[in-house]
This record gives sequence, C-alpha cells and structure tokens, in this order.
Amino acid sequence: MSLVTSSRTRLINPRLGIYFGIFTSAFVALALVLVILEQLGADEAVLGVLMLIGPLGLYAAIGASSFTSEPSDYFAAGRRVPAVYTGLGLAVSAVGATGITALTGVLFLSGSDALCLAMGFVAGFVVMAILFAPFVRKAGAFTLPSFFAKRFESRLVRVVSAAIVAVPIILVLAAEIRAGAFAASFLSGANVEIMAAVLVVVLISMLVTGGLRSLTWATTGAGIAALLALLVPVAIVAVFLTNMPVPQLSHGPVLRALGRSESALAMSKDTVDLLTFALAGEGLQPIVKRFAAPNGSVGALAFIVAMLTTMAGVAAAPWLFPRLAATPSVYETRKALGWATIITGVIMMTLASIAVFMREYLFDIVTAAGEAQIPGWLQDLAGSDLAQIDTGTGAFSVASFSFARDGVILGLPLAGGMPGVMLHVVLAGIVAAAVAGGGAALVALGNILAEDVVDGLSPTAAPDPVRITTARVALMLVAAVGGAFAILAPTDPLRLVIWALVLTASSIFPVLLLAIWWKRANAYGAVAGMVTGFGVAAVTMFACEAHWLGLDSALAAVFGIPAGLAAAMGVTVATPLPGRDALDYVSDMRIPGGETLYDREMRLQRQRLRQHG
Amino acid sequence: MIERKERKIYWHHTKWQMVASLVPFFVVLIVLPFYADKLNSSKFLGFPLGYMLMLHGVVLIAAITVASFVNRQDAIDHWHGAHEDL
Repeated sequence: MSLVTSSRTRLINPRLGIYFGIFTSAFVALALVLVILEQLGADEAVLGVLMLIGPLGLYAAIGASSFTSEPSDYFAAGRRVPAVYTGLGLAVSAVGATGITALTGVLFLSGSDALCLAMGFVAGFVVMAILFAPFVRKAGAFTLPSFFAKRFESRLVRVVSAAIVAVPIILVLAAEIRAGAFAASFLSGANVEIMAAVLVVVLISMLVTGGLRSLTWATTGAGIAALLALLVPVAIVAVFLTNMPVPQLSHGPVLRALGRSESALAMSKDTVDLLTFALAGEGLQPIVKRFAAPNGSVGALAFIVAMLTTMAGVAAAPWLFPRLAATPSVYETRKALGWATIITGVIMMTLASIAVFMREYLFDIVTAAGEAQIPGWLQDLAGSDLAQIDTGTGAFSVASFSFARDGVILGLPLAGGMPGVMLHVVLAGIVAAAVAGGGAALVALGNILAEDVVDGLSPTAAPDPVRITTARVALMLVAAVGGAFAILAPTDPLRLVIWALVLTASSIFPVLLLAIWWKRANAYGAVAGMVTGFGVAAVTMFACEAHWLGLDSALAAVFGIPAGLAAAMGVTVATPLPGRDALDYVSDMRIPGGETLYDREMRLQRQRLRQHG
Repeated sequence: MIERKERKIYWHHTKWQMVASLVPFFVVLIVLPFYADKLNSSKFLGFPLGYMLMLHGVVLIAAITVASFVNRQDAIDHWHGAHEDL
C-alpha cells in the first residue's frame, strides 16, 4: 500500500467501518438475546420496551458523542462523509418510517398502482444525481435557502425560500414522528401521543450536540438497523415460500400463483378514469383489485403525474439537501447518489415482496378447501385493531377481510410464524427509519431557521459560537413544533409526505433547476417562481380537498410545476440580467475542480477580518 | 485547473451528457406504465413482465443511468481539466 494518501482518504475516518460493524453486531446481539429471553419465558412487554430503548439509546449516544462547536462540523459534518454513508442516509431518510409502513400497506391493498410512488422515489435520486447534487456540493452551502441566497445574490430570495421550504419540511417531520410513534407505541404499550413526545425528546438529545454531524453518524446506525429489520424477516419468509432468501427477486412465482387465485376468485380487473387517484388511506380497508393488474385505483395519467411529482419532490427535497454538502468532493457526491438510488431500489423491491407474501398468506385462508380457519396471525392483527374479519356470511371471501394500511408490514413476522421478538425487530426498524427521516427534517429546518432567518439577515456571518447556539435553540424549537403538530393535528402520514412532495415539486424544483442550468435566471424570477408554484399548488390542493375539483390533492403539482416554471422564466426574462457576482458564482459552481465556494468565501472573510483588526 | 476558454466547451459537453443520461431514462419511465397491462400477459422469472419492468426494471435502469453518468461525467471532467485535485 502506498504511503502517499490523497486529501480524500486523509479526511475520512478509516475506522468508520469498524465502528458501524460494532453497531451492527450490537443490534443483532440485542435481538438474539431477546429471542433467548423470550424462550426462557420473559414477559413480552419487557422485551418490547428493551427493543425500543436499546437501539434508541444507541442512536442518542452516537449523536451525543458527535459533539461539536465548529460550524463546518455542525452544519456539514466536516465534509468527510463517504459516499456509501451519505447514500444510505439519503435513501433511508427519504423513504422514512412513512414510506416503509404506508408503502407496504398501499402495495398490499392497491397492488401495483402503488408503484407510482416507488418509481418516483427511485427516479428522484437519479434526477438529483444528474441535475442538482454535483453543483450543490461545489457550492457547499449548508441549507437550500443559503444556496439560493448566494446564487441569486439576494436576501429576499433567502427569506422567501426559507419560509416556503419550512412548510414541506414540517409536514415530513410530523409524518415521521407520527409513523415512528405508531410503531413505538406497539413496543412500549404506551399510547401514540406519549411516544411522539418521547421521540421528540430522543431526536433533540441526539441532534442538539452536533447538528448534521450527529445526524450523519446516528442515522447511519439507524439506517443499518432499519435495513436489517426490513430485509431479514422477509428473507426468512422467502425461504419458507420460495426456497430462496432473496424475496426481491424470487417473489415472482408466488405472485403468479396469487394471480391464479385472484382470477379464480373473479377479483375485479376494472380500470378507473385516467385522472383518478385513490390509493388506500388510513383506516381499515378491504382488498379490491388484483395485485399486478394496473390502473385499478390509480388512472393511467394520474400514475404518471404522481410518479413525476414524487420524483421532482425527492430530487429537490430541502430536508435531504444538507447531506449533499457533507461529502468530501463533487465526485463522491455523485457516487453517493448512486448508492442512494440502489438502496432505495432495494427497499422498494423488498416492500413489494412483503406485500405479495402477505397477500399470499391471506389467500391461503380464502382458497383453503373445507371450512376455513382464521389463523393466529390474523387474530393477532385483529386483536390490535389492524385487521377486521367479517364472519357474518359463513364462508370467507377476500371481501371478508379488511386491513389497516400501516399494520400490514407487522403481519409478516406473525404470519411467518417467527418468534415474537421478530415483530419487535420490525417495529424497531420502523422506529429507526423514523429517527432517520424525522432527524433529517429536523436538522434541515433547524439550520434554516438559524442560518437563513436569524443570522441570515446580517451581511456578514455571525461569530461561530453565536451561530452554533442559535442553531441548537432553533433545532429544539422546530422539534417542539413538529411534535406538537404530530400530536395535535393527527393526519395520515402518507398524505402529509405526498403533500410535502407536491409543494416541494411545485415551488423548489423549478427554481433549483433554473438556478443551476440557466445562467440568466435572476432573483426576481426565483421569488416569482417559488411564490407562484407554492401558491398554485396550495390553492389547488385546497380546492381538491374541498371537492371543488374532481381531482385528488396528490395531483396538484400538475398545475404547480408548470406555473412555477413559467413564472420563474417569465419574470426573469422581463427583468435585468443577474449581477456580475451571481454570474461568476454560476460559472464556478459548474466546474467541479477548485475550492468549495462556501469554504472559499469563509476563508476570504477571515483573511479580511485579520487584516483589519 | 480548467482554463477560462475551456469552460464553455466543458459546459457544452456536460449539458449533452445530462441530456444523454436523462432522456432514455424518462422515456422508459413515462412510456412503460401505459404498456404494463399488455406486458403482464408475458412472464419472466415467474413475474408478470409489466410489473417486473416497472419495479425491477426501473431500479436496474436507474442504477445503470447513475453509474454511467458518474463514469462519463468524470471522464469529461478529466478531459477538460475540470476535475478536483484530490
């Protein structure tokens, strides 16, 4: 091995792999110890609490031990997060607890129509990789509004964009807290509201010490836990059902058998109108359509619109943005997005396989010869209000069963006949995903509030201790608001995430696109684009929810994105060229080589201060 | 470090790479769902083909798109001297 090390290898901690190897062993060991305790007859409630506080304690410990009072550490994790870790963080934060629970349920209930969301998430990272991420990394700004402020040389753009992105970020934060609290309440036995408050406290103690640095390392742990909890139980079930431990690739024959059962039961193959969007919401619902038959609940056009909205929303997501500044180089950022794409893809294929297996378990009951018995797993789900069995008609049909969307994934370890601890592992994985997703939203909005709203109004950066303290206070404030929203205004988490994606796609996506790819774009255009896109999307969503339009609010970006793009371009053309500095900024941003623009500015500012005093 | 006069050519090259990466991906993404039902009558590895292409196919194409983009764009960076000094 050569003794000459490049700056990239010098920056990255060479022991990261060892640390997270230890974390993984600890998580697996905890699960195994609990299995042993369960076999020895320990109380199930105690095991659940241990599976909740054990991993949460680890995340909080990792986060708290990443203490820092350096701005480049607090806001950008020291720019030394390798590509794989950034990719894992991006993928798990984007999907989050909401994605894992709700998408599995929607796939189970609505079948392949739910793929519009799955395809959108994967495509979002492709678009982010090619259109945005490398340039954002070269700029090196800590938050999306800070990036806009430098690109457009405008404090107005900074404040307006901060106000606009706050809305989707709060929606995501509330959704993640709610989805995480839902899983945590099963583990602890306490109600969802109390667990939401507990999650807020855990998030604050995890993140307040080190901001993005804490987030990066704590959610690497949480991401590993979430992936393990997602992949392992379904791999075991896949061995039972398909003889192969790769459910992602081997659920085909099960799906084919399922298709035969579906046609034997004469399930509906009808398609809906082009613009219908009726994916399963919260609450108990029956299965109405065949799994693989498209357009049974989402129309052909609505499918494309929902997919592109999700794609644009994920690509421009302000709650994922801060991680892009934390990689060591532009090249590593591109690679990180490659990892994010692959990990998201694996997650989506896994969720689909869980949905197929659960349908198979259900159809086993319906198609069984002789008098059907309700198996234990279904009784357990019904006992937890996650399923309902209509015994009125005597014989069972598919319509006799209804399921709570977010509970479907919990049925897998039960239906697979695994030890009770496996259910706890799945629940702990959902909580881990909520920590990753909620944490990302929390740090993003806390830093925006501190950097762009409080400190951002003065022309020079505040002294480092002031910046960090402001950011810590802002983080606690945002956590409290997000938690209060999740507790006081309980809304379907998937709906909240979809709204967040619609608003981001309509307001931020067009302006971010133009900021990078159109040199001519100026501050007036940026403000007009964001405000128009956001306004049109919000009004459309309101009209949809009030049933004034025959459209679902998930499709509101079909007006929002074109309106935002048209306003940004129209106003830009009608107003003067951007200034010399803005044009130079765009030129420099487009070249990967050279110093990160933010770091260069800070260095020059420090030099000037030294010279003058 | 990249020379001043090289920047325009570099950006031209980068733009075309962006188009070359995104257009095929978008075509698949938008056209595929309309044919899912027809494709479902064929099978591959036990999967209905339309479903498989929308899930596994899109993930595979996405991964290939990003991987080829990373490689091609890195080559463009080096060709024009726009790469990072690491």
